[in-house]
Amino acid sequence: MQRTQITKSVFVLLAALACLPGLVHAKPWWMRGIDAKETDYLPPDVAFRVAARVEGNTIKVRWVIADGYYLYRQKMEVRAESPDLVVAPAQLPDGVMKTDPYLGTSQVYFQQVEAIVPYSRIDAGAHPLQIKVTYQGCTEGLCYPPMSKVVFPVTGSSAAPNNMPPYPWERIAILGGAFAFLLAGLILRKGRKLDVPA
Amino acid sequence: MKTPGLRYFGAALVVLLGIWLGFKFHAAHSVQEVGVAVPAGIAGPPDSNDPAQLETAPPQVAIPERLPQFSLKDLTGKQTPVSSWSGKSLMINFWATWCAPCRREIPLLKTLAADWAGRDLTIVGIAVDYPDKVRAFAGEFKIDYPLLVGEQDAMDVAARFGMTSPGFPFTVFTDNRGEVVALFLGELHRPQAELILSEVRSLNEDRTQLAQARQAIAEGLERIAAKHSG
Repeated sequence: MQRTQITKSVFVLLAALACLPGLVHAKPWWMRGIDAKETDYLPPDVAFRVAARVEGNTIKVRWVIADGYYLYRQKMEVRAESPDLVVAPAQLPDGVMKTDPYLGTSQVYFQQVEAIVPYSRIDAGAHPLQIKVTYQGCTEGLCYPPMSKVVFPVTGSSAAPNNMPPYPWERIAILGGAFAFLLAGLILRKGRKLDVPA
Repeated sequence: MKTPGLRYFGAALVVLLGIWLGFKFHAAHSVQEVGVAVPAGIAGPPDSNDPAQLETAPPQVAIPERLPQFSLKDLTGKQTPVSSWSGKSLMINFWATWCAPCRREIPLLKTLAADWAGRDLTIVGIAVDYPDKVRAFAGEFKIDYPLLVGEQDAMDVAARFGMTSPGFPFTVFTDNRGEVVALFLGELHRPQAELILSEVRSLNEDRTQLAQARQAIAEGLERIAAKHSG
């Protein structure tokens, strides 16, 4: 009986803990838009995520854009931040034409976009490779001011096979999880003879 | 590991350890992958090239209960305190010329300014933008309500309304006692504006209390939203 009560208390505690982040980040009621999907505008850093990697003589800057959000092509810029770095203007693919009666026609990107930035370094190795990316985007009914971020492009290994997943930590996490479950299984089976073929 | 309970506990511990390690790997490697290490915050207007304008975001502040006192330049360059309109209900609209939904709101704001002119309501536009751009735009769109303009200083005013990392447009409604009745984030449409303004008028005429007015606005906005999506 007592044990059931303890279990219950633990569940209540866990449920309360699970609700806590929601309460902390709850929006005041008066921050509401015209319909439900507008009430939860994403913070700019969540709506637009940016990362960069080095590939040969180019830096590839990639933006991942949340559903329903978009970035303006003409507001995207990549500049050198390291003192010894020289970058050429970013090469961007054609965007989707978006016409607004009050703003005119602009090219925008949905979902994701990658800029190719040729670069050279006068004194390679003396400074960490840093670039500054600027971008501006909107969603229906809301626009974010232009944002600038300093990004450290990751140096990719040219020897890596093409079929490697882009994010190796994913593989590590999956293997780690599988190993943990295997270990847990072994602990539970402790005392019994493992039926391992010779 | 004699008791089964202890074994289960051990197993759970190992699983949790595995998950924790997974997260740790994820965090360590994703920082390196994403490579965004130095937050540069929010830049000034779109074609700003001044790195001094890039600042880290100030800490989160709450939406104030009362209208904070501030002052910004008008289109002639004259420093204008918000207290110039004290005793009036205010509809303070934060906007920028580069923001499409902000531009779309302007005709509605002009109409409301005309409709509510005799009812102690003043619409004040705060453009987070360059003054010359705002002057040109105000001339083109024939904006006849007061406009204040600023760059970082206007962002600082937005932050005083709790919008430290703002999206535009957003509109603050106050009653004639200077109480902040509502802050509406995003493009305002006529039904919402009229709903909020009618509650502001009820407050001004002492026909309702602030908490009741806010409740009525919340419910009204829900109804409008339901109608719009349904």
